Amino acid sequence: MKRTVDVNIPLGPVHPCFKEPARVKCETKGERVIAAEVELGYMKKGIERIMKGRPWQEVMFLAERVCGICSVIHNMVFIEAMEQISGIAVPPRAAYLRVIVNELDRMQSHLLANFSYCYTIEHETLAMYLLDCREQVMDALERLTGARVTCAYMIPGGVRCDIHAEDQVVLRESLDRIEKELHRYASMFGNGPMIALRSRGVGILTPVAAREAHVVGPTARASGIAEDRRIQHPTYKQLGFTPVVRYDCDNYARIMVRFDELFQSIRLIRACLDGLPKGIIRGGGICKAGEIRYSGEAPRGELTYSIKTDEVGRVVEIQIQTPSIMNIEACCHSMIIGADSIADVTATFVSADPCIACTER
Amino acid sequence: MTASLYWYLREFARIEWVRKFFFARTAPLVTPAHFRGFPEPTGKACQHALFCMMVCPAVGAIDVVHEGDGWKPRIHKGHCIRCGLCVEACPNGVLMSGRVLETMQAQGTALLVSFRISIDRDLCTGCGNCVTACPVNKQIDAQLGAGGHSSNDEVIMRVDDGDVQVLHEEKCTGCKICETSCPTQAIQIARILEGIQQPVEGGGP
Amino acid sequence: MSILQAIKNKVRSRSIHVSYVDVGSCNGCDIEVLACLAPRYDIEQYGIFVHNNPREADVLIVIGAYTHGWEEKLAPLWEKIPDPKAAIAIGNCPISGCCFDRRGSYVDPPVSKHIPIAAEVPGCPPRPTEILNAILSVRDLVFADWEVKRR
Ligand code: SF4
Ligand code: SF4
Ligand code: SF4
Repeated sequence: MKRTVDVNIPLGPVHPCFKEPARVKCETKGERVIAAEVELGYMKKGIERIMKGRPWQEVMFLAERVCGICSVIHNMVFIEAMEQISGIAVPPRAAYLRVIVNELDRMQSHLLANFSYCYTIEHETLAMYLLDCREQVMDALERLTGARVTCAYMIPGGVRCDIHAEDQVVLRESLDRIEKELHRYASMFGNGPMIALRSRGVGILTPVAAREAHVVGPTARASGIAEDRRIQHPTYKQLGFTPVVRYDCDNYARIMVRFDELFQSIRLIRACLDGLPKGIIRGGGICKAGEIRYSGEAPRGELTYSIKTDEVGRVVEIQIQTPSIMNIEACCHSMIIGADSIADVTATFVSADPCIACTER
Repeated sequence: MTASLYWYLREFARIEWVRKFFFARTAPLVTPAHFRGFPEPTGKACQHALFCMMVCPAVGAIDVVHEGDGWKPRIHKGHCIRCGLCVEACPNGVLMSGRVLETMQAQGTALLVSFRISIDRDLCTGCGNCVTACPVNKQIDAQLGAGGHSSNDEVIMRVDDGDVQVLHEEKCTGCKICETSCPTQAIQIARILEGIQQPVEGGGP
Repeated sequence: MSILQAIKNKVRSRSIHVSYVDVGSCNGCDIEVLACLAPRYDIEQYGIFVHNNPREADVLIVIGAYTHGWEEKLAPLWEKIPDPKAAIAIGNCPISGCCFDRRGSYVDPPVSKHIPIAAEVPGCPPRPTEILNAILSVRDLVFADWEVKRR
């Protein structure tokens, strides 16, 4: 079929709205986008290749550096996969601490995603509020783990350090503060008429299209698919976890799902702090040979590690499946198509929270 | 008109306003004490155990150099990723970084390093290069010959029946010299790290 | 040094437009640069404006370990920035390749092989305070007496 195309507009790789290099090529007719294609390949570092033949203490740091925004979950999934292979049990206190750090990381990632969206639709005030709120989460993360981004908190058999008694108090206080602020920002976003004009009904991803594209994470949950790997996680099971779902299928729903998950994370952290068991935080244990496919829920969706190790615990084969690739594909095949203007293309692309670094690794 | 002009002039003439306008208000550019920064020496004497170099996940981030009459770990900025593993692995507490050292002393956590020697029987030609290159072997058996044969039972490994046999894995210091001297990459040293905790009495939360 | 030059020095160091380019990082440094925009650190109070247009920029912030995809893109990008200009490398990646500079990887660090780098901020990732301090410490130097030096 021959198509009439007015202009072929490339966005990126260096574009004011994208924090990372990706190239979205849009075929437009007038202002209407009729087809879009994402071109990747600016960030390929070959992490899986260099992971091979290395012990966990090196792979752990490489895994963290698959994605700097959601580094904790990469650490967690890799370490838990190694524990499953080697039959290492985690002390209950360490398991709870892992959930706390993981949820803090999810909070900062969601805040960053919502910041990017608000920034892209030019609502800079709300964007800056959210970024300021994120700094408080980062402070809590730094207090617990000692680093802001690449925390390196989990090791096989436990965690690096325990939570100090005075830090628990500080953490609770900052959670209260963050929750209060977030309620304000969420209602600003949820009820803002201008935001609704830019977000409601834009970038529709129907549940059928979402299932076809195997969309994961908040993008899927905004399209009414109640999927979340945390349901299967033993510690989250103890905490009574249910995923957040919305049925609007548009940009607005995707951002609101993230806001809802922020509150959920706060609840989970509080539950962990309340029920924090006493005891040791490192059980010891040596990595052994084995093979496993293990998944966890990253802020952007399901993250899977397939690992094979040799008898001294070195990784011989590893495959990482990151969530963003499905979301990006769904984005350019369903969400962008029919956008009324190029400005909506960037907004829609950002609302799916694409992470190029972990897509290409 | 005059009133507002007067008001503006009065506003602008304030020293505070001038300072705010022309000199940027410095944000609190402080790094908190609990931030895990580049490892720094605590002043304790380095025993040259080299565990820091063995666990370091970054390329060329740390080396231990001879200084005066002792050894000293040296951190290379631009390579070090500030993971703090070297702090935890050091048995003597030579390095510190943020709260890592205090916390691990208070909570009794440590990283144990052990070594596993694996020899690929198909690749090993029995040349004995690794046996003679090993510094521990040389110390134990000064008469170690070029062929890697030894009558001493205390050596880490020796050539027997045309193959290298490992006798005392636990004496290995993990230096990997044998690995580099092997022509066929038959010998492999695995550095195994284990995080352990022995709770301290009265310590920890 | 003429008075005009002195004024130029002053003005240039107080109004810097920044463009950043990610040549294959893990995003860690990316978001720390982004965090500098946050009200807590507020990079704009120093007259530093972050937007991503190389043609208007004075300073190029380089993040990442230089992957092959950037081979014929980074140098032209650097050409497009009008003089006077400077490049600042943020993080270990552009300095040494961080953990990625191993046999078998697709990176080609350091970035200073490809474009001239004026300042480096080590750390993986550096804290926003470190990034800010680094930018503030070089801003008076890199653009000082540019016309004089060029001659
Ligand atoms: S902090 Fe980590 S990267 Fe830096 S020297 Fe120590 S072990 Fe190596
Ligand atoms: S790694 Fe162990 S066996 Fe090999 S040379 Fe060093 S001490 Fe000897
Ligand atoms: S220096 Fe570290 S945090 Fe920064 S991009 Fe490189 S790997 Fe990521």
